[in-house]
Amino acid sequence: MNKIADDPVLTDATRTKISVRELDFYYRDYHALKSINLDIPERKITAIIGPSGCGKSTLLRVFNRIYSAYAGLEATGEVLLDGENILASGYSLNRLRTRVGMVFQKAVPFPLSIYENVAYGLRHHLKLPRVQLDECIEQALRESALWNEVKDKLNSSALSLSGGQQQRLCIARAVALRPQVLLLDEPTSALDPIATGRIEQLLNELQNDFTIIIVTHNMQQAARVSAYTAYMFLGQMIEFGTTADLFTRPQRRQTEDYITGRFG
Amino acid sequence: MSRATGFYYRRRRVTDVFAKTLGVAATAFGLFWLFWILLVTLNNGMHALTPAIFTQTTPPPGGEGGLANALVGSFEMSLLGVLIGAPLGIAAGTYLSEFAERHPAWRETIRFVNDILLSAPSIVLGLFVYTLAVRSVGHFSGWSGAIALALIVLPVVVRTTDETLRLVPNVMREAALSLGIPRWKVTVQVLYRAAAPGILTGVLLGLARISGETAPLLFTALNNQFWAPSLNAPTSSVPVVVFQFAMSPYDSWHALAWAGAFIVTVFILLLSVATRAYLLRNRFDAAA
Repeated sequence: MNKIADDPVLTDATRTKISVRELDFYYRDYHALKSINLDIPERKITAIIGPSGCGKSTLLRVFNRIYSAYAGLEATGEVLLDGENILASGYSLNRLRTRVGMVFQKAVPFPLSIYENVAYGLRHHLKLPRVQLDECIEQALRESALWNEVKDKLNSSALSLSGGQQQRLCIARAVALRPQVLLLDEPTSALDPIATGRIEQLLNELQNDFTIIIVTHNMQQAARVSAYTAYMFLGQMIEFGTTADLFTRPQRRQTEDYITGRFG
Repeated sequence: MSRATGFYYRRRRVTDVFAKTLGVAATAFGLFWLFWILLVTLNNGMHALTPAIFTQTTPPPGGEGGLANALVGSFEMSLLGVLIGAPLGIAAGTYLSEFAERHPAWRETIRFVNDILLSAPSIVLGLFVYTLAVRSVGHFSGWSGAIALALIVLPVVVRTTDETLRLVPNVMREAALSLGIPRWKVTVQVLYRAAAPGILTGVLLGLARISGETAPLLFTALNNQFWAPSLNAPTSSVPVVVFQFAMSPYDSWHALAWAGAFIVTVFILLLSVATRAYLLRNRFDAAA
């Protein structure tokens, strides 16, 4: 059922950025992901949808191994980023995370200035001269459509921004490191429709430079922003395809029930 | 129906008034003693306050003098107590909150032991340091007093550091870790900043607590009627002087005891108020 590799949807010009092979995930004794197979196309937006508790956030948190900050969590199988298995014990976590950035459901700026929030990762990884650092930060803030609103108050506390601005700041913080992949875990679920609209527009622009994976419980959002959609249920990958196909011609009954609202 | 409603309504009203009255009365009862103590201390202390308090040393029985040596001794030992206790406490609290997740049994044991230390009678800590740092060197000293005070600061700071770090939302840790930054750096640069008001409160609360402590100093720093030549010698402190002078039959000593009590009370009061004000200001900053 998960013969994604032979799936015709990925045979066009798109290259695979991340390949998931027989991935299982355990929260101690709880088997949260069950032999997941999935190919994430490069420089496209892939949405992961499914009802609460289906494992979509868990899957996303495997892609930068953020789960490994906690005891008792374990992933087995393979997750290949450009052909390299990121679950291999030799794969450096810090290297992985500079290549795979993440934005969370709740926008949590660090208790620093707007400038320092974006500079934080850069300062650690690269020792840039001030002028270059300024440029990187301006670029990141422009890319996250925040520059015009904050350029005159870069030194004020990031906590003074509105919720939508804070979330765009978190996106700027992640893209400042020039990752190849950007993970977003329900990035707009705490925002109003206007702020949500801005973020979606922003994702649309960012997909030219980044491979984006977005977890959302909002099916309309998945339909609006993504090129590909994966539907998960009870820890299993039920269906994966282009967003147009998945929403108009779902291959499986379960997917159809979910997207038509009969279930979930 | 309406009569029944009226009856129940009236019964609720009576219960409500009764509970409120009881609550207000209990609060007033507690506050009454507190304000009485404060008022008597302030009144007597104010009258006993003279410039000599800050310039002269403690007098012999019946003589005139001040509290200068006791004030300096208290200042030195409290400061040292905080300087020893706070860094240790912050380090231990950080370990409990941030790095002990993989050893839950160990972590809970340390928390439990720390809570015991937190509620240990301070005189027991004084006796402990007496055997440790007084008997072994053969004489009382300001250093041993500072160590005893540090043991009181330690569990307060461990607990507040642990608790305030645990209040920092997990997503802030994850956000910093997801930038590829190692855990210790995340802790020091991001989490400490987020938890700073809470940690500082813990340190100030510890300082407020030890500046009025008498029992742990009785067996360690002892007392000194004159200037201590160094912290290696017996050192006087305001609480111990208050204790000694208040029990004496001399009026001039009584006055000095009141003055000492006044100074310690006002210091702790100001410290608590300043801490609260700082915390409140910070809360508004975060909300703005």
